[in-house]
Amino acid sequence: MTAARLSGLFAAMLALKLTHLQALVIFALVISVAFGFLGRRGPMDRVKYILWTLFLFLLVGVGIGWAMYPFSH
Amino acid sequence: MAEETAPSASPTEEASPVAPPQDEKREGVAFVVAVAGWLVPGLGHALQKMWGRAVICFLTVGVLVWVGAGMRGNLFTSRSNDAFDSLGYIADLGSGGFYWVARSLETNGPDVSHADGDYGTRFLATAGVFNLLAALHAFEAARGRKA
Repeated sequence: MTAARLSGLFAAMLALKLTHLQALVIFALVISVAFGFLGRRGPMDRVKYILWTLFLFLLVGVGIGWAMYPFSH
Repeated sequence: MAEETAPSASPTEEASPVAPPQDEKREGVAFVVAVAGWLVPGLGHALQKMWGRAVICFLTVGVLVWVGAGMRGNLFTSRSNDAFDSLGYIADLGSGGFYWVARSLETNGPDVSHADGDYGTRFLATAGVFNLLAALHAFEAARGRKA
């Protein structure tokens, strides 16, 4: 692969166009996994913690979004 | 005549106010571990053979910086205009070496005129704050207070 192609691929990887929901889901997923690994030791404990944190992140994010909806009109 | 005996010293009184040399050494090692973890996300845990946490810290900060820079988030500099900019600079600087990676990735500069750029700013700040948290975790683990 030539340097120009690599550069193009790199630029394409950087040009991110995400919707609000996609950004929220990526953020929630990454942070949930990180907190799960830092905060818990056992594999099952980690999985439970990650799923619970992810659920709460999404619930609170979408909930706040809906709570702000009337103010956007 | 009742014989008076001297009250026995409690363990806290017996303890020397000066920390033993091995404790001082451990504190020094913990400090080095924390600085290493700040400079290279995950290195603090890797030095303690916590491989899973090391990889997760590195990937988390890397992904957050990549997404944040890709969304053209604002990366604060030392030339701040107000207190909030200074706080943002501290948060961004928390990602250690990835701060300069993010600067090199953002060749077109930030664009916060759209929501994307605003989100990107939060991603970049989160990467820094998370890395500081991870470095603190590595520091505590090196001191033997957390595992």
